[in-house]
Amino acid sequence: MFKNLRVKKYPVQFETRPGSLTSEWLLEDSDSPIILEQINNLPNNIKLRVYRNLLPPGLMIRFNIDPITWKGPDGQLHVGLKADEQTGFVHLWAHKNGSQQDEFFRLEISDNPQRGIDINLIHLNDPEGQRYSTDFDQDGEPTLFGTTRRNLEEERRAMDGGLAPGQIRKNLGASALAFQQIEAFLATLGHRAYFLDPLTYSSAWVFEKRGFAYVRGHKLMDDIQHEFQPGGKLHEALDGSTTFRKSDQWRTVRGRAWAIHDGILENIGEQWDGLRMIKQVGRHAGVDTFPDAEF
Amino acid sequence: MIHQISRSAELTTLSEFRKYIALICSQHPEVDENILYDMQLAVDEACTNIIAHGYKGMNAGSIILSMEINDDYAEINLTDFGHAFEPSRSPAPNLDAGLEDRPTGGFGLFFIYQTMDNIDYTTNVYGNRLTFIKRFNNNV
Repeated sequence: MFKNLRVKKYPVQFETRPGSLTSEWLLEDSDSPIILEQINNLPNNIKLRVYRNLLPPGLMIRFNIDPITWKGPDGQLHVGLKADEQTGFVHLWAHKNGSQQDEFFRLEISDNPQRGIDINLIHLNDPEGQRYSTDFDQDGEPTLFGTTRRNLEEERRAMDGGLAPGQIRKNLGASALAFQQIEAFLATLGHRAYFLDPLTYSSAWVFEKRGFAYVRGHKLMDDIQHEFQPGGKLHEALDGSTTFRKSDQWRTVRGRAWAIHDGILENIGEQWDGLRMIKQVGRHAGVDTFPDAEF
Repeated sequence: MIHQISRSAELTTLSEFRKYIALICSQHPEVDENILYDMQLAVDEACTNIIAHGYKGMNAGSIILSMEINDDYAEINLTDFGHAFEPSRSPAPNLDAGLEDRPTGGFGLFFIYQTMDNIDYTTNVYGNRLTFIKRFNNNV
């Protein structure tokens, strides 16, 4: 009866081999995805050549950093790479003047259990912007971007300074460029999509603009949009009870994000947890859960 | 030209997709009412399946509907990121059985198979993609 149905399942789980890449492996098949662990097992100079492609050259030039040698005018390295053997983790960071304080780029990616790629962290900070210490509490303990501890005074200053939760400096405005670069890199490795878990409401909104769809959490984003409208439970909960719940915050992505960071989702029996997004290489999903939004 | 709309996997999305398909087809006089109805029905049934089973047990993710209308056929793609479903394992409903003997449900896929000319289902770690082809003239 189902004569017109064709089912394809290729590949449900990608087969990869332990060890590093070999020329024999590369000659066999140009379609099978290469995982990061395979690259990490290669000699250091090859890793540098490969992971160089994760950094947008235009961004390096903007900060006077040579995109090939990663050195600045002072002759010092301004880019760091950690891609240890036998691991599937890659950390890449770039700073303007040689200290972590003026880091403008940080990317952490990893192999996931399904042999796909997860972006665990991406930060693009304007090193000229004012720094807010929302990443450390008043006792100097790391807050993990406000997820485990909070520095309320710094968060208040950051919010007043125009930042979103999770930011320590204003954005560099280069996320489109960075994602284009990451996507081209992953396509070269043979990956057709990549994943991330958005840390905040505002970052989820930005990722929507960059073409991501939701593996989990699209309904939550719709519920948030609905309940922030006048008459909704989240709109009502913007009652001024804390600095982060002012009545007009429903109007902007940033305002909503701070209220959600402050735990306002309890009013609809939810929390910011478990969202997962996917970007298909070359495709823009067109998701827009807050139409005509002002950031 | 490929048209695309993305919504969360919720029942309210069904009517939005029906309206969207009607809107796109209204720009193509070669798509008559019967063809439009068949396409709406197929999308409705497939999305109901994704909502009920694909995203079962999780905060629902996205469904991406894309469609392209050519001279003599339309192609519709539904992409989701939930649990894969096994269309080939779905038994055909027994249309000869009495009403009281028929299991609840199971007709959705049957309708899709009956009304569409080609159906492809691709699933992998990057998501699930269901593709329908509907020819405007079955004699072609």
